[in-house]
Amino acid sequence: MSFDLHKPASISEAVGLATRLAPAARYIAGGTDLVIQISRKKMFPDHLIDLGHLAGLVGVAETADGYLLGALTNYRSIELHPAFQGNLRGLIEAAGVVGGHQVRNVATVGGNIVNASPAADFVPALLVLDADLDIAGPVRNRTMALREFVLGPGKTALGPAEIVTSIRFARLPDRSATAFLKQGRRKAMEISVVCVAACLTLDESGSKCLSARLVIGAAGPKAFRPQQAEAYLIDQAPGPANFAAAGRLAAQASAPISDVRASAEYRSHLVAVMVERALTTCHRRIAEERR
Amino acid sequence: MNRTNLDVLINGERHQILIEPHWTLLHVLRNVVGMMGTKENCLEAECGVCTVLLDGKSVNSCILLAAQTAGRSVTTIEGIGNPERLHPLQAAFIECGAVQCGYCIPGMILTAKSFLDENPGRRPSRDEIREAIAGTLCRCTGYRKIVDAVALAAERMSVEGANR
Repeated sequence: MSFDLHKPASISEAVGLATRLAPAARYIAGGTDLVIQISRKKMFPDHLIDLGHLAGLVGVAETADGYLLGALTNYRSIELHPAFQGNLRGLIEAAGVVGGHQVRNVATVGGNIVNASPAADFVPALLVLDADLDIAGPVRNRTMALREFVLGPGKTALGPAEIVTSIRFARLPDRSATAFLKQGRRKAMEISVVCVAACLTLDESGSKCLSARLVIGAAGPKAFRPQQAEAYLIDQAPGPANFAAAGRLAAQASAPISDVRASAEYRSHLVAVMVERALTTCHRRIAEERR
Repeated sequence: MNRTNLDVLINGERHQILIEPHWTLLHVLRNVVGMMGTKENCLEAECGVCTVLLDGKSVNSCILLAAQTAGRSVTTIEGIGNPERLHPLQAAFIECGAVQCGYCIPGMILTAKSFLDENPGRRPSRDEIREAIAGTLCRCTGYRKIVDAVALAAERMSVEGANR
Protein backbone atom coordinates (compact mmCIF):
# COMPACT_ATOMS: atom_id res chain seq x y z
CA MET A 1 0.00 0.00 0.00
CA SER A 2 1.12 3.49 -0.71
CA PHE A 3 -0.58 6.83 -0.49
CA ASP A 4 -0.01 10.44 0.42
CA LEU A 5 -1.33 11.55 3.77
CA HIS A 6 -2.72 15.05 4.14
CA LYS A 7 -3.38 16.82 7.39
CA PRO A 8 -5.76 19.70 6.81
CA ALA A 9 -6.07 22.24 9.62
CA SER A 10 -9.77 22.95 9.13
CA ILE A 11 -12.93 21.35 7.79
CA SER A 12 -12.99 23.73 4.82
CA GLU A 13 -9.37 22.90 3.97
CA ALA A 14 -10.24 19.18 4.18
CA VAL A 15 -13.23 19.62 1.86
CA GLY A 16 -11.07 21.64 -0.55
CA LEU A 17 -8.41 18.91 -0.62
CA ALA A 18 -11.00 16.18 -1.19
CA THR A 19 -12.56 18.17 -4.02
CA ARG A 20 -9.20 18.72 -5.70
CA LEU A 21 -7.97 15.14 -5.24
CA ALA A 22 -11.25 13.35 -6.05
CA PRO A 23 -11.86 10.53 -6.78
CA ALA A 24 -8.51 9.18 -5.57
CA ALA A 25 -8.87 10.54 -2.04
CA ARG A 26 -10.50 9.15 1.09
CA TYR A 27 -11.04 10.75 4.44
CA ILE A 28 -9.58 8.91 7.41
CA ALA A 29 -10.88 9.38 10.96
CA GLY A 30 -9.98 6.59 13.42
CA GLY A 31 -9.01 4.38 10.49
CA THR A 32 -9.95 1.17 12.31
CA ASP A 33 -11.81 -0.08 9.25
CA LEU A 34 -10.09 1.86 6.48
CA VAL A 35 -6.52 0.78 7.32
CA ILE A 36 -7.63 -2.87 7.32
CA GLN A 37 -9.40 -2.42 3.96
CA ILE A 38 -6.25 -0.86 2.50
CA SER A 39 -3.96 -3.61 3.78
CA ARG A 40 -6.37 -6.24 2.45
CA LYS A 41 -6.04 -4.44 -0.89
CA LYS A 42 -9.78 -3.85 -1.06
CA MET A 43 -9.16 -0.11 -1.38
CA PHE A 44 -6.37 1.74 -3.13
CA PRO A 45 -6.65 5.41 -2.28
CA ASP A 46 -3.81 7.58 -3.60
CA HIS A 47 -4.53 10.17 -0.94
CA LEU A 48 -5.76 9.97 2.63
CA ILE A 49 -7.07 13.12 4.23
CA ASP A 50 -6.66 12.82 7.99
CA LEU A 51 -9.55 14.36 9.92
CA GLY A 52 -8.27 13.01 13.24
CA HIS A 53 -6.94 16.23 14.68
CA LEU A 54 -9.59 18.70 13.50
CA ALA A 55 -10.74 20.74 16.45
CA GLY A 56 -14.40 20.84 17.38
CA LEU A 57 -15.36 17.43 15.99
CA VAL A 58 -14.74 15.52 19.22
CA GLY A 59 -16.95 15.30 22.26
CA VAL A 60 -20.50 15.30 23.58
CA ALA A 61 -22.31 18.60 24.08
CA GLU A 62 -25.72 19.35 25.58
CA THR A 63 -27.85 21.63 23.43
CA ALA A 64 -31.10 23.44 24.18
CA ASP A 65 -33.21 20.43 23.22
CA GLY A 66 -30.82 17.51 23.28
CA TYR A 67 -27.31 16.35 22.53
CA LEU A 68 -24.69 16.86 19.89
CA LEU A 69 -22.03 14.22 19.27
CA GLY A 70 -18.94 15.32 17.38
CA ALA A 71 -18.44 12.89 14.50
CA LEU A 72 -14.93 12.07 15.71
CA THR A 73 -16.10 11.08 19.19
CA ASN A 74 -14.84 7.59 19.96
CA TYR A 75 -16.96 4.79 21.39
CA ARG A 76 -15.17 4.42 24.69
CA SER A 77 -15.85 8.04 25.59
CA ILE A 78 -19.55 7.56 24.80
CA GLU A 79 -19.59 4.43 26.95
CA LEU A 80 -18.15 6.35 29.89
CA HIS A 81 -20.19 9.53 29.41
CA PRO A 82 -22.35 10.34 32.44
CA ALA A 83 -25.07 12.01 30.33
CA PHE A 84 -26.05 8.67 28.80
CA GLN A 85 -26.34 6.68 32.03
CA GLY A 86 -30.07 7.42 32.35
CA ASN A 87 -32.74 7.04 29.67
CA LEU A 88 -30.16 7.08 26.87
CA ARG A 89 -28.53 3.92 28.19
CA GLY A 90 -29.07 2.23 24.82
CA LEU A 91 -26.25 4.39 23.46
CA ILE A 92 -23.84 3.06 26.09
CA GLU A 93 -24.94 -0.50 25.40
CA ALA A 94 -24.37 -0.11 21.67
CA ALA A 95 -21.03 1.69 22.05
CA GLY A 96 -19.89 -1.05 24.44
CA VAL A 97 -20.15 -3.88 21.90
CA VAL A 98 -18.08 -2.29 19.13
CA GLY A 99 -14.82 -4.26 18.91
CA GLY A 100 -12.55 -4.40 21.95
CA HIS A 101 -11.44 -1.51 24.14
CA GLN A 102 -8.51 -0.81 21.80
CA VAL A 103 -10.84 -0.27 18.85
CA ARG A 104 -13.34 1.70 20.95
CA ASN A 105 -10.57 4.07 22.04
CA VAL A 106 -9.98 5.00 18.38
CA ALA A 107 -13.01 4.19 16.21
CA THR A 108 -15.35 7.12 15.64
CA VAL A 109 -19.14 7.41 15.57
CA GLY A 110 -18.97 9.27 12.26
CA GLY A 111 -16.84 6.54 10.73
CA ASN A 112 -19.32 3.85 11.68
CA ILE A 113 -22.17 5.84 10.10
CA VAL A 114 -20.33 6.65 6.87
CA ASN A 115 -19.18 3.03 6.52
CA ALA A 116 -22.86 2.01 6.32
CA SER A 117 -22.31 -1.60 7.29
CA PRO A 118 -25.69 -3.39 7.66
CA ALA A 119 -24.30 -4.80 10.92
CA ALA A 120 -23.09 -1.47 12.35
CA ASP A 121 -24.00 -1.56 16.03
CA PHE A 122 -24.16 2.11 16.83
CA VAL A 123 -26.35 3.13 13.88
CA PRO A 124 -29.54 1.45 15.24
CA ALA A 125 -28.98 3.09 18.64
CA LEU A 126 -28.93 6.49 16.90
CA LEU A 127 -31.77 5.70 14.47
CA VAL A 128 -34.03 4.87 17.39
CA LEU A 129 -33.44 8.42 18.67
CA ASP A 130 -34.37 9.89 15.25
CA ALA A 131 -30.87 11.36 15.00
CA ASP A 132 -29.92 13.98 12.44
CA LEU A 133 -26.52 14.46 10.81
CA ASP A 134 -24.73 17.74 10.16
CA ILE A 135 -22.78 17.52 6.93
CA ALA A 136 -20.13 19.93 5.65
CA GLY A 137 -19.55 20.06 1.90
CA PRO A 138 -17.93 21.98 -0.94
CA VAL A 139 -21.08 23.86 -1.89
CA ARG A 140 -22.98 24.20 1.35
CA ASN A 141 -23.48 22.66 4.77
CA ARG A 142 -26.64 20.67 5.30
CA THR A 143 -28.56 18.62 7.83
CA MET A 144 -30.08 15.27 7.04
CA ALA A 145 -31.97 12.60 8.95
CA LEU A 146 -29.77 9.55 9.63
CA ARG A 147 -32.58 7.28 8.38
CA GLU A 148 -32.36 8.96 4.95
CA PHE A 149 -28.59 8.97 4.95
CA VAL A 150 -27.87 5.24 4.97
CA LEU A 151 -29.05 3.82 1.63
CA GLY A 152 -27.77 0.24 1.69
CA PRO A 153 -24.67 -1.86 2.37
CA GLY A 154 -21.74 0.56 2.07
CA LYS A 155 -23.97 3.16 0.39
CA THR A 156 -24.88 6.55 1.81
CA ALA A 157 -26.27 9.87 0.63
CA LEU A 158 -22.88 11.48 1.27
CA GLY A 159 -21.91 13.64 -1.70
CA PRO A 160 -18.41 14.09 -3.13
CA ALA A 161 -16.00 15.62 -0.60
CA GLU A 162 -18.72 15.88 2.07
CA ILE A 163 -17.90 15.22 5.74
CA VAL A 164 -20.31 14.22 8.49
CA THR A 165 -19.36 16.66 11.24
CA SER A 166 -21.85 15.94 14.02
CA ILE A 167 -24.83 13.88 15.08
CA ARG A 168 -27.77 15.44 16.92
CA PHE A 169 -30.77 14.02 18.73
CA ALA A 170 -33.45 15.38 21.05
CA ARG A 171 -33.76 14.73 24.77
CA LEU A 172 -36.40 12.08 25.51
CA PRO A 173 -39.72 12.92 27.16
CA ASP A 174 -40.45 11.81 30.74
CA ARG A 175 -41.22 8.13 31.30
CA SER A 176 -38.97 7.06 28.42
CA ALA A 177 -36.17 4.51 28.24
CA THR A 178 -33.88 3.02 25.61
CA ALA A 179 -32.22 -0.36 25.30
CA PHE A 180 -29.84 -2.01 22.86
CA LEU A 181 -29.38 -5.75 22.49
CA LYS A 182 -26.88 -7.59 20.34
CA GLN A 183 -26.68 -11.24 19.49
CA GLY A 184 -23.50 -12.71 18.07
CA ARG A 185 -21.94 -16.14 18.09
CA ARG A 186 -19.87 -15.12 21.09
CA LYS A 187 -20.13 -12.35 23.67
CA ALA A 188 -17.40 -9.96 22.51
CA MET A 189 -15.32 -9.05 19.46
CA GLU A 190 -18.14 -10.13 17.19
CA ILE A 191 -20.12 -8.82 14.26
CA SER A 192 -23.83 -8.77 15.06
CA VAL A 193 -26.02 -11.63 13.89
CA VAL A 194 -28.93 -9.38 14.84
CA CYS A 195 -29.05 -6.23 16.94
CA VAL A 196 -32.11 -4.38 18.21
CA ALA A 197 -32.53 -0.87 19.57
CA ALA A 198 -35.73 0.20 21.32
CA CYS A 199 -37.07 3.45 22.71
CA LEU A 200 -40.30 3.32 24.69
CA THR A 201 -42.35 6.18 26.16
CA LEU A 202 -45.28 5.52 28.53
CA ASP A 203 -48.17 7.79 29.54
CA GLU A 204 -48.42 9.44 32.96
CA SER A 205 -50.03 6.44 34.62
CA GLY A 206 -47.43 4.11 33.15
CA SER A 207 -50.18 1.84 31.84
CA LYS A 208 -50.14 2.77 28.16
CA CYS A 209 -47.46 3.10 25.47
CA LEU A 210 -47.38 6.63 24.07
CA SER A 211 -44.71 5.85 21.54
CA ALA A 212 -42.43 2.99 20.65
CA ARG A 213 -39.52 3.18 18.26
CA LEU A 214 -37.71 0.04 17.19
CA VAL A 215 -34.70 -0.46 14.95
CA ILE A 216 -33.44 -3.80 13.73
CA GLY A 217 -29.83 -4.16 12.55
CA ALA A 218 -28.13 -6.94 10.57
CA ALA A 219 -31.46 -8.42 9.47
CA GLY A 220 -31.74 -6.62 6.13
CA PRO A 221 -29.57 -4.60 3.73
CA LYS A 222 -29.71 -1.74 6.20
CA ALA A 223 -31.03 -1.13 9.68
CA PHE A 224 -34.80 -0.57 9.53
CA ARG A 225 -37.79 0.51 11.60
CA PRO A 226 -40.53 -2.19 11.75
CA GLN A 227 -43.39 0.30 11.45
CA GLN A 228 -46.24 -2.14 11.99
CA ALA A 229 -44.70 -3.31 15.23
CA GLU A 230 -44.25 0.29 16.36
CA ALA A 231 -47.81 1.28 15.39
CA TYR A 232 -49.24 -1.79 17.10
CA LEU A 233 -47.85 -0.72 20.46
CA ILE A 234 -49.37 2.77 20.51
CA ASP A 235 -52.07 3.00 23.20
CA GLN A 236 -51.46 -0.63 24.20
CA ALA A 237 -50.63 -1.69 27.72
CA PRO A 238 -46.89 -2.34 28.21
CA GLY A 239 -46.36 -6.00 29.06
CA PRO A 240 -45.28 -9.44 27.90
CA ALA A 241 -48.21 -10.21 25.56
CA ASN A 242 -48.04 -6.95 23.63
CA PHE A 243 -44.24 -6.91 23.55
CA ALA A 244 -44.24 -10.46 22.15
CA ALA A 245 -46.83 -9.45 19.53
CA ALA A 246 -44.64 -6.50 18.52
CA GLY A 247 -41.70 -8.90 18.25
CA ARG A 248 -43.65 -11.15 15.87
CA LEU A 249 -44.63 -8.17 13.70
CA ALA A 250 -41.00 -7.01 13.61
CA ALA A 251 -39.85 -10.49 12.56
CA GLN A 252 -42.40 -10.45 9.71
CA ALA A 253 -41.03 -7.11 8.54
CA SER A 254 -37.40 -8.27 8.49
CA ALA A 255 -35.67 -9.58 5.37
CA PRO A 256 -32.51 -11.26 6.66
CA ILE A 257 -30.04 -13.25 4.60
CA SER A 258 -28.33 -16.53 5.44
CA ASP A 259 -24.58 -16.22 5.73
CA VAL A 260 -21.65 -17.73 7.61
CA ARG A 261 -22.91 -16.29 10.88
CA ALA A 262 -26.54 -17.46 10.88
CA SER A 263 -29.44 -18.61 8.74
CA ALA A 264 -32.20 -16.25 7.69
CA GLU A 265 -34.69 -18.32 9.74
CA TYR A 266 -32.61 -17.99 12.88
CA ARG A 267 -32.20 -14.26 12.34
CA SER A 268 -35.98 -13.84 12.04
CA HIS A 269 -36.44 -15.82 15.23
CA LEU A 270 -33.89 -13.60 16.96
CA VAL A 271 -35.70 -10.44 15.82
CA ALA A 272 -38.93 -11.59 17.50
CA VAL A 273 -37.21 -12.59 20.74
CA MET A 274 -34.89 -9.60 20.93
CA VAL A 275 -37.59 -7.00 20.21
CA GLU A 276 -39.65 -8.46 23.05
CA ARG A 277 -36.63 -8.40 25.37
CA ALA A 278 -35.59 -4.88 24.39
CA LEU A 279 -39.12 -3.57 25.08
CA THR A 280 -39.25 -5.46 28.38
CA THR A 281 -35.93 -3.88 29.35
CA CYS A 282 -37.22 -0.40 28.47
CA HIS A 283 -40.37 -1.03 30.51
CA ARG A 284 -38.33 -2.15 33.52
CA ARG A 285 -36.06 0.87 33.22
CA ILE A 286 -38.99 3.29 33.15
CA ALA A 287 -40.44 1.60 36.25
CA GLU A 288 -37.07 1.82 38.03
CA GLU A 289 -36.79 5.48 37.14
CA ARG A 290 -40.20 6.20 38.66
CA ARG A 291 -39.48 4.39 41.90
CA MET B 1 9.53 7.41 -1.68
CA ASN B 2 7.57 10.02 0.08
CA ARG B 3 8.94 10.18 3.58
CA THR B 4 7.76 12.66 6.15
CA ASN B 5 9.01 13.49 9.57
CA LEU B 6 7.15 12.06 12.56
CA ASP B 7 7.63 13.82 15.86
CA VAL B 8 6.34 11.58 18.66
CA LEU B 9 6.97 10.81 22.32
CA ILE B 10 7.74 7.14 22.90
CA ASN B 11 7.99 6.11 26.54
CA GLY B 12 8.57 9.72 27.48
CA GLU B 13 11.41 10.25 25.02
CA ARG B 14 11.05 12.47 21.98
CA HIS B 15 11.66 10.70 18.67
CA GLN B 16 11.93 12.26 15.23
CA ILE B 17 11.53 9.53 12.67
CA LEU B 18 11.35 9.56 8.88
CA ILE B 19 8.28 7.53 7.98
CA GLU B 20 6.34 6.54 4.90
CA PRO B 21 2.65 7.49 5.06
CA HIS B 22 1.43 3.89 5.05
CA TRP B 23 3.64 2.67 7.90
CA THR B 24 1.73 1.58 10.96
CA LEU B 25 2.78 2.46 14.48
CA LEU B 26 3.57 -1.24 15.02
CA HIS B 27 5.96 -1.22 12.05
CA VAL B 28 7.70 1.89 13.35
CA LEU B 29 8.06 0.55 16.89
CA ARG B 30 9.50 -2.82 15.89
CA ASN B 31 11.32 -2.14 12.63
CA VAL B 32 12.49 1.45 13.00
CA VAL B 33 12.81 2.16 16.72
CA GLY B 34 13.69 -1.46 17.46
CA MET B 35 11.39 -2.01 20.43
CA MET B 36 10.38 -5.66 20.20
CA GLY B 37 8.13 -5.79 23.29
CA THR B 38 5.13 -4.90 21.15
CA LYS B 39 4.15 -8.08 19.31
CA GLU B 40 2.91 -8.60 15.79
CA ASN B 41 0.28 -11.11 14.78
CA CYS B 42 -3.11 -10.65 13.10
CA LEU B 43 -2.60 -7.11 11.73
CA GLU B 44 -6.39 -6.62 11.77
CA ALA B 45 -7.15 -5.53 15.35
CA GLU B 46 -8.61 -8.93 16.20
CA CYS B 47 -6.02 -10.25 18.63
CA GLY B 48 -4.62 -7.33 20.64
CA VAL B 49 -0.98 -8.51 20.95
CA CYS B 50 0.14 -5.22 19.35
CA THR B 51 -1.62 -3.10 21.99
CA VAL B 52 0.20 0.05 23.11
CA LEU B 53 -1.03 3.16 24.91
CA LEU B 54 -1.70 6.35 22.93
CA ASP B 55 -2.03 9.25 25.36
CA GLY B 56 -2.68 6.60 28.00
CA LYS B 57 -5.46 4.75 26.13
CA SER B 58 -5.05 1.26 24.72
CA VAL B 59 -4.96 1.09 20.91
CA ASN B 60 -4.10 -1.55 18.32
CA SER B 61 -0.79 -0.36 16.90
CA CYS B 62 -1.20 -2.68 13.88
CA ILE B 63 -3.99 -0.59 12.36
CA LEU B 64 -2.94 2.83 13.54
CA LEU B 65 -0.95 4.78 10.98
CA ALA B 66 2.25 6.08 12.54
CA ALA B 67 1.35 9.48 11.13
CA GLN B 68 -1.79 9.49 13.29
CA THR B 69 0.42 9.61 16.40
CA ALA B 70 2.19 12.87 15.49
CA GLY B 71 2.63 15.06 18.53
CA ARG B 72 1.18 12.45 20.84
CA SER B 73 2.53 10.16 23.53
CA VAL B 74 3.02 6.43 22.93
CA THR B 75 3.73 4.00 25.77
CA THR B 76 4.93 0.46 25.11
CA ILE B 77 5.58 -2.40 27.52
CA GLU B 78 9.19 -1.17 27.73
CA GLY B 79 7.91 2.09 29.18
CA ILE B 80 5.85 1.06 32.20
CA GLY B 81 8.45 -0.61 34.42
CA ASN B 82 11.84 -2.27 34.52
CA PRO B 83 13.25 -5.37 36.25
CA GLU B 84 14.22 -3.33 39.31
CA ARG B 85 10.93 -1.50 39.49
CA LEU B 86 8.07 -3.48 38.02
CA HIS B 87 4.67 -1.97 37.36
CA PRO B 88 2.10 -3.48 39.78
CA LEU B 89 0.49 -5.28 36.81
CA GLN B 90 3.83 -6.82 35.82
CA ALA B 91 4.49 -7.93 39.40
CA ALA B 92 1.00 -9.39 39.70
CA PHE B 93 1.29 -11.31 36.41
CA ILE B 94 4.53 -12.91 37.66
CA GLU B 95 3.13 -13.72 41.11
CA CYS B 96 -0.08 -15.20 39.75
CA GLY B 97 1.71 -17.29 37.14
CA ALA B 98 -0.40 -15.55 34.53
CA VAL B 99 2.19 -16.01 31.78
CA GLN B 100 2.28 -19.14 29.64
CA CYS B 101 3.90 -18.67 26.23
CA GLY B 102 4.04 -14.95 26.95
CA TYR B 103 3.27 -13.65 23.48
CA CYS B 104 0.04 -11.86 24.44
CA ILE B 105 1.30 -10.56 27.77
CA PRO B 106 2.70 -7.14 26.76
CA GLY B 107 -0.59 -6.35 25.02
CA MET B 108 -2.59 -7.88 27.87
CA ILE B 109 -0.81 -5.77 30.50
CA LEU B 110 -1.26 -2.55 28.53
CA THR B 111 -4.92 -3.38 27.80
CA ALA B 112 -5.43 -3.85 31.54
CA LYS B 113 -3.46 -0.72 32.42
CA SER B 114 -5.58 1.46 30.15
CA PHE B 115 -8.74 0.03 31.72
CA LEU B 116 -7.57 0.39 35.33
CA ASP B 117 -6.35 3.94 34.71
CA GLU B 118 -9.83 4.98 33.52
CA ASN B 119 -11.03 4.78 37.13
CA PRO B 120 -8.04 5.06 39.47
CA GLY B 121 -8.62 3.36 42.80
CA ARG B 122 -11.63 1.35 41.65
CA ARG B 123 -11.62 -2.43 41.99
CA PRO B 124 -13.46 -3.87 39.00
CA SER B 125 -15.33 -7.19 39.19
CA ARG B 126 -14.00 -10.27 37.41
CA ASP B 127 -16.71 -9.86 34.77
CA GLU B 128 -15.67 -6.26 34.16
CA ILE B 129 -12.05 -7.35 33.81
CA ARG B 130 -13.02 -10.07 31.36
CA GLU B 131 -14.97 -7.58 29.28
CA ALA B 132 -12.11 -5.09 29.40
CA ILE B 133 -9.55 -7.59 28.05
CA ALA B 134 -11.89 -9.08 25.42
CA GLY B 135 -9.91 -7.41 22.66
CA THR B 136 -6.70 -9.19 23.63
CA LEU B 137 -6.55 -12.90 22.97
CA CYS B 138 -4.48 -15.45 24.90
CA ARG B 139 -4.05 -18.43 22.56
CA CYS B 140 -2.84 -20.50 25.54
CA THR B 141 -6.34 -19.74 26.96
CA GLY B 142 -4.84 -18.89 30.34
CA TYR B 143 -7.48 -16.33 31.15
CA ARG B 144 -8.24 -17.39 34.70
CA LYS B 145 -4.80 -16.46 36.00
CA ILE B 146 -4.67 -13.36 33.81
CA VAL B 147 -7.92 -12.16 35.41
CA ASP B 148 -6.50 -13.09 38.85
CA ALA B 149 -3.43 -10.97 38.11
CA VAL B 150 -5.40 -7.94 36.91
CA ALA B 151 -7.66 -8.16 39.98
CA LEU B 152 -4.64 -8.39 42.30
CA ALA B 153 -2.95 -5.43 40.61
CA ALA B 154 -6.17 -3.39 40.81
CA GLU B 155 -6.41 -4.11 44.52
CA ARG B 156 -2.81 -3.06 45.15
CA MET B 157 -3.05 0.01 42.94
CA SER B 158 -6.19 1.14 44.79
CA VAL B 159 -4.40 0.78 48.15
CA GLU B 160 -1.33 2.59 46.85
CA GLY B 161 -3.53 5.34 45.46
CA ALA B 162 -5.28 5.70 48.82
CA ASN B 163 -1.93 5.93 50.68
CA ARG B 164 -0.54 8.54 48.36
